[in-house]
Amino acid sequence: MDLRSSVEIITEWDIVAARQLGRNEAKKAGFGTVDQARITTAISELARNIYLYAGKGKIEIERVTDNGKFGIKIIASDEGPGIPDLRKVMEDGFSTSGGLGAGMPGVKRLMDEFKVASETGAGTTITTTKWLH
Amino acid sequence: MNARIPILKLNEVLIVSIQWELDDQTAIQFQEDLLNKMHNTAALGVVIDLTPIDFIDSFIAKVLGDVINMTGLMGAKVVITGIQPAVAITLIELGIRLSNVMTALDLENGLDKLYKELEA
Amino acid sequence: MDKIMVEGINKNMDEIIERWIRRMKEEKGERFFHFMPDHLVEKTSREFAELMTSNISDSSAANTERINDFTEKVVRFGWAIKFVNKAIDNFSDVVYEFLEEQEIINESNLRTFNIIFRNWINPLRESIIDAYSTEWERTVSLQKIALQELSASLIPVFDKISVMPLVGTIDTERAKLIMENLLEGVVSQRAEVVLLDITGVPVVDTMVAHHIIQAAEAVRLVGAKCMLVGIRPEIAQTIVALGINLHEFTTKSTLQRGMQAALGMTNRAIVEVEAN
Repeated sequence: MDLRSSVEIITEWDIVAARQLGRNEAKKAGFGTVDQARITTAISELARNIYLYAGKGKIEIERVTDNGKFGIKIIASDEGPGIPDLRKVMEDGFSTSGGLGAGMPGVKRLMDEFKVASETGAGTTITTTKWLH
Repeated sequence: MNARIPILKLNEVLIVSIQWELDDQTAIQFQEDLLNKMHNTAALGVVIDLTPIDFIDSFIAKVLGDVINMTGLMGAKVVITGIQPAVAITLIELGIRLSNVMTALDLENGLDKLYKELEA
Repeated sequence: MDKIMVEGINKNMDEIIERWIRRMKEEKGERFFHFMPDHLVEKTSREFAELMTSNISDSSAANTERINDFTEKVVRFGWAIKFVNKAIDNFSDVVYEFLEEQEIINESNLRTFNIIFRNWINPLRESIIDAYSTEWERTVSLQKIALQELSASLIPVFDKISVMPLVGTIDTERAKLIMENLLEGVVSQRAEVVLLDITGVPVVDTMVAHHIIQAAEAVRLVGAKCMLVGIRPEIAQTIVALGINLHEFTTKSTLQRGMQAALGMTNRAIVEVEAN
Protein backbone atom coordinates (compact mmCIF):
# COMPACT_ATOMS: atom_id res chain seq x y z
CA MET A 1 0.00 0.00 0.00
CA ASP A 2 1.23 3.45 -0.86
CA LEU A 3 1.48 5.40 2.37
CA ARG A 4 2.10 8.73 0.76
CA SER A 5 0.35 10.43 -2.12
CA SER A 6 0.56 13.94 -3.44
CA VAL A 7 -1.11 16.44 -5.72
CA GLU A 8 0.64 19.32 -7.46
CA ILE A 9 -1.29 22.57 -7.08
CA ILE A 10 -1.02 24.64 -10.22
CA THR A 11 -4.56 25.35 -11.37
CA GLU A 12 -7.81 25.91 -9.54
CA TRP A 13 -8.85 22.40 -10.50
CA ASP A 14 -6.00 20.93 -8.51
CA ILE A 15 -7.70 22.22 -5.36
CA VAL A 16 -10.62 19.91 -6.16
CA ALA A 17 -8.22 17.04 -6.91
CA ALA A 18 -6.37 17.56 -3.61
CA ARG A 19 -9.48 17.52 -1.49
CA GLN A 20 -10.87 14.50 -3.30
CA LEU A 21 -7.66 12.65 -2.56
CA GLY A 22 -7.86 13.80 1.06
CA ARG A 23 -11.44 12.68 1.44
CA ASN A 24 -10.65 9.23 0.03
CA GLU A 25 -7.58 8.82 2.22
CA ALA A 26 -9.52 9.90 5.32
CA LYS A 27 -12.28 7.43 4.50
CA LYS A 28 -9.77 4.62 3.93
CA ALA A 29 -8.02 5.42 7.19
CA GLY A 30 -11.31 4.91 9.02
CA PHE A 31 -12.24 8.47 9.98
CA GLY A 32 -15.91 9.23 10.67
CA THR A 33 -17.95 11.65 8.57
CA VAL A 34 -17.21 14.67 10.76
CA ASP A 35 -13.45 14.10 10.69
CA GLN A 36 -13.62 13.40 6.96
CA ALA A 37 -15.24 16.81 6.51
CA ARG A 38 -12.60 18.42 8.77
CA ILE A 39 -9.73 16.89 6.81
CA THR A 40 -11.26 17.68 3.41
CA THR A 41 -11.94 21.27 4.44
CA ALA A 42 -8.44 21.75 5.85
CA ILE A 43 -6.90 20.47 2.60
CA SER A 44 -9.13 22.77 0.59
CA GLU A 45 -8.00 25.79 2.63
CA LEU A 46 -4.32 24.86 2.36
CA ALA A 47 -4.51 24.14 -1.37
CA ARG A 48 -6.32 27.40 -2.02
CA ASN A 49 -3.65 29.31 -0.12
CA ILE A 50 -0.98 27.77 -2.33
CA TYR A 51 -2.97 28.62 -5.45
CA LEU A 52 -3.69 32.20 -4.37
CA TYR A 53 -0.38 33.24 -2.80
CA ALA A 54 2.38 31.05 -4.12
CA GLY A 55 1.03 30.20 -7.57
CA LYS A 56 2.22 26.64 -7.31
CA GLY A 57 3.18 24.03 -4.78
CA LYS A 58 1.99 20.67 -3.61
CA ILE A 59 -0.17 18.88 -1.08
CA GLU A 60 1.12 15.60 0.29
CA ILE A 61 -1.00 13.22 2.29
CA GLU A 62 0.58 10.60 4.46
CA ARG A 63 -0.59 7.91 6.85
CA VAL A 64 1.21 8.19 10.17
CA THR A 65 1.45 6.19 13.38
CA ASP A 66 2.70 7.24 16.76
CA ASN A 67 2.60 5.12 19.88
CA GLY A 68 -0.28 3.01 18.63
CA LYS A 69 -2.19 6.05 17.37
CA PHE A 70 -3.09 6.28 13.71
CA GLY A 71 -3.54 9.44 11.76
CA ILE A 72 -3.28 11.41 8.58
CA LYS A 73 -0.63 14.03 8.01
CA ILE A 74 -1.02 16.77 5.42
CA ILE A 75 2.01 18.63 4.19
CA ALA A 76 1.36 21.75 2.14
CA SER A 77 4.51 23.22 0.64
CA ASP A 78 5.31 25.94 -1.84
CA GLU A 79 8.24 28.02 -2.97
CA GLY A 80 6.28 31.24 -2.95
CA PRO A 81 6.97 34.56 -1.25
CA GLY A 82 6.64 33.15 2.27
CA ILE A 83 4.58 34.58 5.09
CA PRO A 84 6.15 37.81 6.42
CA ASP A 85 4.19 37.97 9.67
CA LEU A 86 3.31 34.51 10.95
CA ARG A 87 1.57 35.74 14.03
CA LYS A 88 -0.75 37.89 12.00
CA VAL A 89 -1.99 35.11 9.70
CA MET A 90 -2.81 33.03 12.76
CA GLU A 91 -5.14 35.73 14.04
CA ASP A 92 -8.84 35.17 13.50
CA GLY A 93 -10.26 37.52 10.90
CA PHE A 94 -6.96 38.24 9.18
CA SER A 95 -7.07 37.85 5.42
CA THR A 96 -5.10 39.21 2.53
CA SER A 97 -7.26 37.69 -0.19
CA GLY A 98 -10.51 39.43 0.63
CA GLY A 99 -11.92 36.09 1.74
CA LEU A 100 -13.49 35.40 5.09
CA GLY A 101 -10.10 35.27 6.74
CA ALA A 102 -10.92 31.98 8.37
CA GLY A 103 -8.03 30.19 6.68
CA MET A 104 -5.09 29.38 8.92
CA PRO A 105 -6.56 29.58 12.44
CA GLY A 106 -9.54 27.65 11.09
CA VAL A 107 -7.31 24.86 9.79
CA LYS A 108 -5.57 24.73 13.15
CA ARG A 109 -8.91 24.27 14.89
CA LEU A 110 -10.02 21.57 12.45
CA MET A 111 -6.87 19.50 12.93
CA ASP A 112 -5.03 18.14 16.00
CA GLU A 113 -1.49 19.30 15.26
CA PHE A 114 -0.37 22.28 13.22
CA LYS A 115 3.06 23.64 12.34
CA VAL A 116 4.17 26.41 9.98
CA ALA A 117 7.67 26.98 8.68
CA SER A 118 8.09 29.98 6.44
CA GLU A 119 10.98 31.95 5.07
CA THR A 120 10.44 35.21 3.25
CA GLY A 121 11.30 34.73 -0.38
CA ALA A 122 11.91 30.98 -0.03
CA GLY A 123 8.47 29.50 0.60
CA THR A 124 6.20 28.02 3.20
CA THR A 125 5.61 24.53 4.54
CA ILE A 126 2.58 23.76 6.67
CA THR A 127 2.38 20.40 8.38
CA THR A 128 -0.82 19.37 10.07
CA THR A 129 -2.05 16.07 11.50
CA LYS A 130 -5.37 14.56 12.49
CA TRP A 131 -5.41 11.51 14.79
CA LEU A 132 -7.98 8.76 14.82
CA HIS A 133 -9.52 8.77 18.30
CA MET B 1 -16.14 22.33 -17.52
CA ASN B 2 -19.57 23.74 -17.89
CA ALA B 3 -21.61 22.12 -15.17
CA ARG B 4 -24.26 24.61 -14.17
CA ILE B 5 -26.47 24.29 -11.17
CA PRO B 6 -30.14 24.15 -12.21
CA ILE B 7 -32.43 26.77 -10.69
CA LEU B 8 -36.11 25.87 -10.62
CA LYS B 9 -39.02 28.27 -10.27
CA LEU B 10 -42.09 27.37 -8.23
CA ASN B 11 -44.58 30.23 -8.14
CA GLU B 12 -42.76 33.16 -6.55
CA VAL B 13 -40.00 30.99 -5.12
CA LEU B 14 -36.76 29.69 -6.65
CA ILE B 15 -35.51 26.26 -5.66
CA VAL B 16 -31.89 25.22 -5.98
CA SER B 17 -30.52 21.83 -5.14
CA ILE B 18 -26.76 21.60 -5.14
CA GLN B 19 -26.04 17.98 -5.97
CA TRP B 20 -22.29 17.74 -6.20
CA GLU B 21 -19.13 19.21 -4.84
CA LEU B 22 -18.77 22.87 -5.85
CA ASP B 23 -15.58 23.95 -7.50
CA ASP B 24 -14.74 27.63 -7.53
CA GLN B 25 -15.90 28.30 -11.09
CA THR B 26 -19.24 26.57 -10.63
CA ALA B 27 -19.81 28.49 -7.40
CA ILE B 28 -19.17 31.84 -9.04
CA GLN B 29 -21.25 30.87 -12.08
CA PHE B 30 -24.07 29.89 -9.73
CA GLN B 31 -23.93 33.27 -8.01
CA GLU B 32 -24.36 35.01 -11.35
CA ASP B 33 -27.07 32.67 -12.62
CA LEU B 34 -29.14 33.00 -9.46
CA LEU B 35 -29.03 36.79 -9.45
CA ASN B 36 -30.04 36.91 -13.11
CA LYS B 37 -32.88 34.47 -12.55
CA MET B 38 -34.05 36.53 -9.55
CA HIS B 39 -34.09 39.59 -11.69
CA ASN B 40 -35.95 37.93 -14.58
CA THR B 41 -38.59 36.21 -12.49
CA ALA B 42 -38.99 38.77 -9.70
CA ALA B 43 -38.95 35.90 -7.21
CA LEU B 44 -39.58 36.73 -3.55
CA GLY B 45 -37.64 33.90 -2.03
CA VAL B 46 -34.98 31.26 -2.62
CA VAL B 47 -34.42 27.86 -1.03
CA ILE B 48 -30.95 26.42 -1.48
CA ASP B 49 -30.69 22.75 -0.50
CA LEU B 50 -27.25 21.44 0.45
CA THR B 51 -28.18 17.91 1.58
CA PRO B 52 -25.67 16.04 -0.63
CA ILE B 53 -22.78 18.37 0.16
CA ASP B 54 -20.24 16.83 2.55
CA PHE B 55 -17.94 19.78 3.12
CA ILE B 56 -17.85 23.55 2.68
CA ASP B 57 -14.61 25.49 2.87
CA SER B 58 -14.23 29.20 3.54
CA PHE B 59 -14.29 30.11 -0.16
CA ILE B 60 -17.59 28.38 -0.90
CA ALA B 61 -18.97 29.71 2.37
CA LYS B 62 -18.03 33.21 1.25
CA VAL B 63 -19.70 32.75 -2.13
CA LEU B 64 -22.83 31.46 -0.39
CA GLY B 65 -22.77 34.31 2.11
CA ASP B 66 -22.36 36.83 -0.71
CA VAL B 67 -25.24 35.29 -2.68
CA ILE B 68 -27.45 35.58 0.39
CA ASN B 69 -26.51 39.22 0.97
CA MET B 70 -27.00 40.09 -2.70
CA THR B 71 -30.35 38.34 -2.77
CA GLY B 72 -31.33 40.33 0.29
CA LEU B 73 -30.40 43.55 -1.52
CA MET B 74 -32.71 42.52 -4.33
CA GLY B 75 -35.51 42.21 -1.80
CA ALA B 76 -35.80 38.44 -1.54
CA LYS B 77 -35.42 36.01 1.34
CA VAL B 78 -33.11 32.98 1.37
CA VAL B 79 -33.39 29.74 3.30
CA ILE B 80 -30.52 27.25 3.31
CA THR B 81 -31.59 23.68 3.95
CA GLY B 82 -30.01 20.30 4.58
CA ILE B 83 -26.65 21.38 5.98
CA GLN B 84 -25.16 18.10 7.24
CA PRO B 85 -23.92 17.83 10.85
CA ALA B 86 -20.33 17.31 9.69
CA VAL B 87 -20.56 20.41 7.50
CA ALA B 88 -22.08 22.49 10.31
CA ILE B 89 -19.31 21.45 12.71
CA THR B 90 -16.49 22.25 10.28
CA LEU B 91 -18.05 25.62 9.42
CA ILE B 92 -18.25 26.56 13.10
CA GLU B 93 -14.68 25.40 13.72
CA LEU B 94 -13.50 27.42 10.76
CA GLY B 95 -15.14 30.41 12.41
CA ILE B 96 -17.86 30.84 9.79
CA ARG B 97 -21.25 31.58 11.29
CA LEU B 98 -23.49 32.60 8.36
CA SER B 99 -25.31 34.48 11.11
CA ASN B 100 -27.94 36.29 9.06
CA VAL B 101 -29.15 33.22 7.18
CA MET B 102 -32.38 31.33 7.72
CA THR B 103 -31.87 27.59 7.87
CA ALA B 104 -34.12 24.53 7.87
CA LEU B 105 -33.68 20.78 8.20
CA ASP B 106 -34.84 19.92 4.68
CA LEU B 107 -36.51 21.33 1.59
CA GLU B 108 -40.01 20.80 2.97
CA ASN B 109 -39.28 22.64 6.22
CA GLY B 110 -37.42 25.27 4.27
CA LEU B 111 -40.38 26.03 2.03
CA ASP B 112 -42.66 26.19 5.09
CA LYS B 113 -40.34 28.67 6.77
CA LEU B 114 -39.99 30.74 3.64
CA TYR B 115 -43.76 30.97 3.05
CA LYS B 116 -44.33 31.93 6.68
CA GLU B 117 -41.64 34.58 6.38
CA LEU B 118 -43.18 35.92 3.15
CA GLU B 119 -46.65 36.10 4.70
CA ALA B 120 -45.39 38.06 7.67
CA MET C 1 23.93 -15.27 53.87
CA ASP C 2 20.53 -14.75 52.15
CA LYS C 3 19.39 -18.04 53.53
CA ILE C 4 20.10 -17.14 57.10
CA MET C 5 18.19 -13.98 56.59
CA VAL C 6 15.17 -15.62 54.93
CA GLU C 7 15.08 -18.27 57.62
CA GLY C 8 15.36 -15.66 60.31
CA ILE C 9 12.46 -13.75 58.78
CA ASN C 10 10.25 -16.74 58.09
CA LYS C 11 10.64 -18.17 61.55
CA ASN C 12 9.52 -14.90 63.08
CA MET C 13 7.04 -13.83 60.46
CA ASP C 14 4.19 -13.33 62.95
CA GLU C 15 6.28 -11.14 65.16
CA ILE C 16 7.51 -9.07 62.21
CA ILE C 17 4.04 -8.62 60.82
CA GLU C 18 2.68 -7.57 64.17
CA ARG C 19 5.40 -5.00 64.63
CA TRP C 20 4.89 -3.78 61.13
CA ILE C 21 1.13 -3.39 61.57
CA ARG C 22 1.67 -1.55 64.83
CA ARG C 23 4.04 0.80 63.13
CA MET C 24 1.70 1.35 60.22
CA LYS C 25 -1.09 2.22 62.63
CA GLU C 26 1.09 4.85 64.21
CA GLU C 27 1.39 6.48 60.83
CA LYS C 28 -1.15 9.02 59.71
CA GLY C 29 -2.17 6.45 57.14
CA GLU C 30 -4.04 4.54 59.82
CA ARG C 31 -7.32 5.41 58.16
CA PHE C 32 -6.42 3.09 55.32
CA PHE C 33 -6.54 0.19 57.70
CA HIS C 34 -9.58 1.72 59.26
CA PHE C 35 -11.79 1.00 56.30
CA MET C 36 -10.94 -2.66 56.28
CA PRO C 37 -12.31 -5.30 58.61
CA ASP C 38 -9.68 -6.72 60.97
CA HIS C 39 -9.36 -10.11 59.36
CA LEU C 40 -8.74 -8.44 56.01
CA VAL C 41 -6.05 -6.24 57.52
CA GLU C 42 -4.48 -9.38 58.85
CA LYS C 43 -4.81 -11.21 55.55
CA THR C 44 -3.51 -8.44 53.29
CA SER C 45 -0.72 -7.64 55.69
CA ARG C 46 0.38 -11.25 55.63
CA GLU C 47 0.18 -11.31 51.88
CA PHE C 48 2.16 -8.10 51.76
CA ALA C 49 4.79 -9.53 54.08
CA GLU C 50 5.03 -12.76 52.11
CA LEU C 51 5.41 -10.81 48.95
CA MET C 52 8.05 -8.63 50.55
CA THR C 53 10.09 -11.62 51.58
CA SER C 54 9.51 -13.75 48.51
CA ASN C 55 11.99 -11.96 46.32
CA ILE C 56 14.94 -11.88 48.65
CA SER C 57 16.11 -15.03 46.97
CA ASP C 58 13.84 -15.05 43.95
CA SER C 59 13.58 -12.37 41.32
CA SER C 60 11.99 -14.50 38.61
CA ALA C 61 9.09 -13.74 36.29
CA ALA C 62 6.66 -15.66 38.47
CA ASN C 63 7.42 -13.15 41.14
CA THR C 64 6.52 -10.24 38.85
CA GLU C 65 3.18 -11.86 38.32
CA ARG C 66 2.67 -12.15 42.07
CA ILE C 67 3.52 -8.52 42.50
CA ASN C 68 1.00 -7.56 39.83
CA ASP C 69 -1.72 -9.66 41.44
CA PHE C 70 -1.00 -8.17 44.79
CA THR C 71 -0.91 -4.62 43.51
CA GLU C 72 -4.26 -5.09 41.85
CA LYS C 73 -5.69 -6.16 45.20
CA VAL C 74 -4.12 -3.22 46.98
CA VAL C 75 -5.50 -0.80 44.38
CA ARG C 76 -8.94 -2.22 44.95
CA PHE C 77 -8.57 -1.74 48.70
CA GLY C 78 -7.91 1.88 47.96
CA TRP C 79 -4.43 1.99 49.44
CA ALA C 80 -2.75 5.17 48.37
CA ILE C 81 0.61 4.84 46.69
CA LYS C 82 2.14 6.97 49.44
CA PHE C 83 0.85 4.48 51.94
CA VAL C 84 2.23 1.51 50.01
CA ASN C 85 5.57 3.25 49.82
CA LYS C 86 5.53 3.86 53.55
CA ALA C 87 4.58 0.25 54.08
CA ILE C 88 7.65 -0.89 52.19
CA ASP C 89 9.88 1.47 54.19
CA ASN C 90 8.45 0.35 57.49
CA PHE C 91 8.66 -3.29 56.55
CA SER C 92 12.33 -3.10 55.71
CA ASP C 93 12.99 -1.08 58.88
CA VAL C 94 11.19 -3.62 61.01
CA VAL C 95 13.04 -6.51 59.42
CA TYR C 96 16.36 -4.75 59.84
CA GLU C 97 15.76 -3.99 63.49
CA PHE C 98 14.56 -7.47 64.07
CA LEU C 99 17.57 -9.08 62.47
CA GLU C 100 19.76 -6.79 64.51
CA GLU C 101 18.03 -7.85 67.71
CA GLN C 102 18.44 -11.48 66.76
CA GLU C 103 22.07 -10.71 66.12
CA ILE C 104 21.83 -12.13 62.65
CA ILE C 105 23.12 -8.78 61.56
CA ASN C 106 26.20 -7.68 63.41
CA GLU C 107 29.16 -5.36 63.02
CA SER C 108 31.09 -7.80 60.87
CA ASN C 109 28.49 -8.49 58.18
CA LEU C 110 26.80 -5.07 58.18
CA ARG C 111 28.15 -4.13 54.78
CA THR C 112 27.04 -7.39 53.14
CA PHE C 113 23.56 -7.02 54.61
CA ASN C 114 23.34 -3.48 53.42
CA ILE C 115 23.90 -4.66 49.89
CA ILE C 116 21.41 -7.49 50.29
CA PHE C 117 18.86 -5.05 51.61
CA ARG C 118 19.37 -2.64 48.79
CA ASN C 119 19.08 -5.36 46.17
CA TRP C 120 16.00 -6.62 47.90
CA ILE C 121 14.03 -3.44 48.51
CA ASN C 122 14.77 -1.31 45.45
CA PRO C 123 13.53 -3.64 42.71
CA LEU C 124 10.53 -4.45 44.86
CA ARG C 125 9.62 -0.82 45.30
CA GLU C 126 10.15 -0.15 41.63
CA SER C 127 7.99 -3.01 40.45
CA ILE C 128 5.24 -2.19 42.92
CA ILE C 129 5.16 1.45 41.87
CA ASP C 130 5.28 0.36 38.25
CA ALA C 131 2.45 -2.13 38.66
CA TYR C 132 0.59 0.54 40.56
CA SER C 133 0.81 3.17 37.86
CA THR C 134 -0.16 0.64 35.17
CA GLU C 135 -3.21 -0.28 37.20
CA TRP C 136 -4.02 3.39 37.61
CA GLU C 137 -3.67 4.21 33.96
CA ARG C 138 -5.98 1.33 33.17
CA THR C 139 -8.55 2.57 35.66
CA VAL C 140 -8.36 6.10 34.30
CA SER C 141 -8.81 5.00 30.69
CA LEU C 142 -11.73 2.75 31.67
CA GLN C 143 -13.35 5.62 33.49
CA LYS C 144 -12.80 7.84 30.50
CA ILE C 145 -14.61 5.33 28.31
CA ALA C 146 -17.37 5.04 30.87
CA LEU C 147 -17.70 8.81 30.92
CA GLN C 148 -17.92 8.94 27.16
CA GLU C 149 -20.60 6.29 27.16
CA LEU C 150 -22.73 8.20 29.57
CA SER C 151 -22.24 11.50 27.92
CA ALA C 152 -24.98 13.18 26.07
CA SER C 153 -27.71 11.45 24.20
CA LEU C 154 -30.43 13.43 22.51
CA ILE C 155 -33.87 12.33 23.66
CA PRO C 156 -36.91 12.96 21.47
CA VAL C 157 -39.63 14.17 23.84
CA PHE C 158 -42.35 15.47 21.57
CA ASP C 159 -42.66 15.63 17.84
CA LYS C 160 -40.12 18.29 16.77
CA ILE C 161 -38.75 18.75 20.31
CA SER C 162 -35.73 16.94 21.74
CA VAL C 163 -33.78 17.31 24.97
CA MET C 164 -30.12 16.72 25.73
CA PRO C 165 -29.30 16.60 29.44
CA LEU C 166 -25.64 17.40 30.11
CA VAL C 167 -24.08 15.94 33.23
CA GLY C 168 -20.62 16.53 34.60
CA THR C 169 -17.63 18.54 33.56
CA ILE C 170 -17.29 19.45 29.90
CA ASP C 171 -13.81 19.35 28.42
CA THR C 172 -12.82 19.85 24.79
CA GLU C 173 -12.98 16.19 23.92
CA ARG C 174 -16.42 15.74 25.45
CA ALA C 175 -17.62 18.97 23.88
CA LYS C 176 -16.80 17.60 20.43
CA LEU C 177 -18.67 14.39 21.18
CA ILE C 178 -21.65 16.32 22.52
CA MET C 179 -21.75 18.49 19.42
CA GLU C 180 -21.68 15.45 17.10
CA ASN C 181 -24.39 13.60 19.04
CA LEU C 182 -26.49 16.73 19.18
CA LEU C 183 -26.34 17.44 15.44
CA GLU C 184 -26.74 13.83 14.29
CA GLY C 185 -29.70 13.59 16.66
CA VAL C 186 -31.33 16.80 15.42
CA VAL C 187 -31.16 15.57 11.83
CA SER C 188 -32.26 11.99 12.49
CA GLN C 189 -35.07 12.97 14.89
CA ARG C 190 -36.08 15.92 12.71
CA ALA C 191 -36.10 18.13 15.77
CA GLU C 192 -36.96 21.78 15.30
CA VAL C 193 -36.14 22.81 18.84
CA VAL C 194 -33.51 21.22 21.07
CA LEU C 195 -33.21 21.96 24.75
CA LEU C 196 -29.72 21.74 26.18
CA ASP C 197 -30.15 21.11 29.89
CA ILE C 198 -27.11 22.17 31.93
CA THR C 199 -28.62 21.50 35.37
CA GLY C 200 -25.98 18.80 35.89
CA VAL C 201 -23.00 20.84 34.75
CA PRO C 202 -21.18 21.99 37.89
CA VAL C 203 -19.19 24.87 36.41
CA VAL C 204 -19.80 27.06 33.39
CA ASP C 205 -16.61 28.94 32.64
CA THR C 206 -15.62 30.77 29.47
CA MET C 207 -14.49 27.56 27.78
CA VAL C 208 -17.67 25.62 28.55
CA ALA C 209 -19.79 28.60 27.47
CA HIS C 210 -17.78 28.81 24.27
CA HIS C 211 -18.49 25.14 23.51
CA ILE C 212 -22.19 25.62 24.25
CA ILE C 213 -22.38 28.67 21.99
CA GLN C 214 -20.62 26.76 19.20
CA ALA C 215 -23.03 23.86 19.60
CA ALA C 216 -25.98 26.25 19.45
CA GLU C 217 -24.64 27.89 16.30
CA ALA C 218 -24.06 24.54 14.63
CA VAL C 219 -27.63 23.53 15.53
CA ARG C 220 -28.86 26.68 13.82
CA LEU C 221 -26.89 25.81 10.69
CA VAL C 222 -28.53 22.41 10.32
CA GLY C 223 -31.88 24.17 10.61
CA ALA C 224 -33.11 23.88 14.20
CA LYS C 225 -33.19 26.11 17.27
CA CYS C 226 -31.18 25.53 20.41
CA MET C 227 -32.39 26.57 23.84
CA LEU C 228 -30.29 26.55 26.99
CA VAL C 229 -32.19 25.45 30.07
CA GLY C 230 -31.37 24.59 33.68
CA ILE C 231 -29.47 27.78 34.42
CA ARG C 232 -28.99 27.91 38.17
CA PRO C 233 -28.54 31.29 39.89
CA GLU C 234 -24.82 30.80 40.46
CA ILE C 235 -24.34 29.85 36.81
CA ALA C 236 -26.20 33.00 35.73
CA GLN C 237 -23.88 34.98 38.02
CA THR C 238 -20.69 33.50 36.62
CA ILE C 239 -21.89 33.92 33.04
CA VAL C 240 -22.52 37.62 33.57
CA ALA C 241 -19.41 38.12 35.68
CA LEU C 242 -17.24 36.54 32.98
CA GLY C 243 -18.84 38.77 30.37
CA ILE C 244 -20.05 35.83 28.31
CA ASN C 245 -22.60 36.87 25.74
CA LEU C 246 -25.52 34.46 25.50
CA HIS C 247 -27.96 37.01 24.12
CA GLU C 248 -28.22 35.32 20.80
CA PHE C 249 -30.08 32.32 22.02
CA THR C 250 -33.00 31.61 24.27
CA THR C 251 -32.27 30.65 27.85
CA LYS C 252 -34.67 29.43 30.53
CA SER C 253 -34.17 28.65 34.19
CA THR C 254 -35.75 25.21 34.13
CA LEU C 255 -36.40 22.39 31.70
CA GLN C 256 -40.12 22.79 32.39
CA ARG C 257 -40.19 26.41 31.28
CA GLY C 258 -38.01 25.59 28.34
CA MET C 259 -40.42 22.89 27.27
CA GLN C 260 -43.35 25.32 27.42
CA ALA C 261 -41.41 27.79 25.31
CA ALA C 262 -40.43 25.07 22.86
CA LEU C 263 -44.06 24.04 22.45
CA GLY C 264 -44.92 27.67 21.85
CA MET C 265 -42.22 27.95 19.19
CA THR C 266 -43.73 24.99 17.39
CA ASN C 267 -47.26 26.42 17.76
CA ARG C 268 -48.45 24.02 20.43
CA ALA C 269 -49.35 24.13 24.10
CA ILE C 270 -50.21 21.74 26.87
CA VAL C 271 -53.86 22.08 27.93
CA GLU C 272 -55.69 20.51 30.83
CA VAL C 273 -58.73 18.49 29.91
CA GLU C 274 -61.73 18.07 32.16
CA ALA C 275 -61.92 14.77 33.97
CA ASN C 276 -65.01 12.77 33.15
